[in-house]
Order: sequence, then C-alpha cells, then structure tokens
Amino acid sequence: MEPQQFSPQQSLELIQNMISKTKADISGNRFYFLLWGWIALIGILGQYILKVIIVYEHHYAIWLITFVGTVVSIIYTVKRDARQKARTYVADNMSYLWTGLGVGFFVLIIIFTKIGWQYAYPFFILFYGMGTFISGKILQFPPLIIGGIFNWALSAASVFFHFDHQMLFAAAAIITSYLIPGYLLKSKTNG
Amino acid sequence: MDNSIEQEEKTLTEKESLLLITDMINKARNSYHDNGIAAIMWGCVITFCSLVMFAQLQFNFKLPFSITWLTLVAIIPQIFLTIKEKKERKAKMHEDVAMDYIWLGFGICIFLLSHVTGEIFENLNEAAGSYKTATGEKFPFLFNEYVFPLFLILYGLPTFITGGMCKFRPMFWGGIFCWVCSIISVYTHVKIDLLLTAAAATVAWLIPGLILKQDYVRAKRELKEQHV
Repeated sequence: MEPQQFSPQQSLELIQNMISKTKADISGNRFYFLLWGWIALIGILGQYILKVIIVYEHHYAIWLITFVGTVVSIIYTVKRDARQKARTYVADNMSYLWTGLGVGFFVLIIIFTKIGWQYAYPFFILFYGMGTFISGKILQFPPLIIGGIFNWALSAASVFFHFDHQMLFAAAAIITSYLIPGYLLKSKTNG
Repeated sequence: MDNSIEQEEKTLTEKESLLLITDMINKARNSYHDNGIAAIMWGCVITFCSLVMFAQLQFNFKLPFSITWLTLVAIIPQIFLTIKEKKERKAKMHEDVAMDYIWLGFGICIFLLSHVTGEIFENLNEAAGSYKTATGEKFPFLFNEYVFPLFLILYGLPTFITGGMCKFRPMFWGGIFCWVCSIISVYTHVKIDLLLTAAAATVAWLIPGLILKQDYVRAKRELKEQHV
C-alpha cells in the first residue's frame, strides 16, 4: 500500500477533522454532568426532606444513591472507550481532572466520617466549584466557568449558616454548576 | 525564491504531517512550565512554613508573627514569574490555558479553604467557651487536628492533574503522595500533620521543580551548542 500523500490543504482538513472530533468529545461530557448533577441533587434535597421535614434520624442514608451513579458511570465509560479508538487531549485532560476530584471527594468523605458531617457542605461546594471551573476552561465552555465561580461564592457564604440551610446552598451549587451547564451542553450539541 | 515556492508546494505524507503536528505540539509544550522555578519556590515556602510551625509546637516558642504570612509574601514573586512567562511564551496551547486555570483555581480554593476553616474555628471557639463555662471541662473536639488533611487534599489535586496532563510522572506521583499524607494526617497529632505537610510539599513540588529546572538548563545548553 502506497503512503497517502497530503497536500497542505488536506493537512489542514485533517487538523479540522481532529478539532471536530474534539468538539464531539466535549458534548459527550454532558452525560457525566447530568448524571452526577441529578444524583447529587436527589441526595441533597432527599437529605433535606428527611432531616428537616420528616425528621428522620438516618437522613444521610439517601447518599447510598451515589453507588448507582458510580456503577452507571463505570459502565458508560467502559462502553464509550470501547467505541472510541483514539482518545483526544480533551478526553485525557477531563479524565485526569475528574479522577483527581473523585479521589479528593473520597478523602473528604474519610475526613468528615471522622470529624462529623456538620461542616461538610462548604468544603464539598468548594470542590464542586473547582471541578466545574477547570472543566469549563478545558472544554472552553463559559457556563461551566461561571457555575464554578458561583459555587465558590456559595461555599464562602454557606459557612455562616446552619447545616440545614447549607444543604440548600449545595442544591443551588449543583443546579448552577452541573445541571444548567449540562443541559446547555446538550442543546449546543443538538443545535 | 524558487526554493521557497518549492517548499510551499511540497506535499507531505501522512506520517510527515503527523510528525510536523507532533513536533509543533512538543515545541509549544516544552516552552511552558519547564523551568520549575515556581514549583521550587512554593515547595520551599510550604516546607519551611510547616517545619517552623512544627518547631514552635515541639520546642514551645512563638514567633511575633504568623509564619503563614510568608505564603502571602510569596505571591508577589509568583505574579512576576507569571508575567515573565507570559511574555516569553510564543504560542499558547490549549493545555497551557487549562494549566493556567488549574493553578488559578487552586489559588482561589486555598484562599476559600482558609476562609471556611477560619470561620469554623471561630464558631467552635465560641462553642468551646460555652462548654467550658457549663461543664468546667475542656472542649472534647479539636478542629485544628483536621485542618491539614483538608489542605493536603487540595495540594494533591492540581499536582496530580498537571502531572497527568503533561505526562510528568514526578508530579503525578507527588499528587498521589499528598492524598496519602492527607489520609494519614486524619489519624495523627497536629505535629505529625505538619511534618506530613512538609514532606508532601517537598515530594509534590520541590523535587519535581528541581527535576524540571535540571531538564530546562540541559535543554537550553543543548540549544546553545546547536547554534554555535
């Protein structure tokens, strides 16, 4: 087989093609934002209802829902990786970022299991913000950047409130940094 | 003139095109974050501050100022380094932009973490006062035992991501080392937490910074020899 000859025009087309692939990859990330956005929102609002309204002692049990999210994420990622032959820089960078944050959340859980959960939410909101802010820069998607900055403001303010109200701050953080950008990413792909 | 036209119209094989692209990416990538000065500086500052705080607890003395102010002073040379780097950087890669924002995000988070932990300290001090008045006993919960683990998680994050994105193993493992130290420090006394923080800053920033610096000097020397 003869090596394919590329004119400068064709080389540029190849690069354009690679950029398009990257863009498709960007919109593929919406799945994770929507999945984890909804799981976290159900967890937070569920805990709020159980603790504040129903006054149930084991209100934190709602967070077992994250196991469902972990299983769905793993299945989706394995299937996606099997489908995609080549990984883009964006996919690689997002993978390092969210692996790092995943480990960060895991260590946070270890710490708060020891300290007690009454101070947890400002720290979790802070980490949500870091993830979405950096994702926004990697994906070049301003709604994520804005969502990240908004989360940091919520984190700074939430520390002045009682735990029960901090849950509402966390719900606002999830809506603005995961769900709204997630749906905007979706409409961008469809449009 | 003819030569340049010939060059312009030269067709590239698929392999040559990819080599050209890879070469351009590597050229741009090697021009960033490779002198290691910022990593060395922050590695030294955090290690030094942690060791001084450890010494204060161990040898029971107190400086007339908080040594952590040194971290704020270090922001000034960091600003100069960033401005200089931006001037010297010829092409800004997608990864460079992401990297800038990873470390900017980290800086903001450190500031916010200080604010949140400071506020919790204040609340707990009030609670501790009331508890002592009511019971005559010391407050059983010491929040300062858990502040360093929180900072260590944050130290690990940008280090791990930078190491992964730039395929720079010392930082990748340095990030993981910070998280290991964070988990250990949950179960140890503050004095040990401070030693773990010093070790984390050395492994995650100081050593990788020195490796980067060495590579940078070598690359610069080779480039000079090529031009002679």
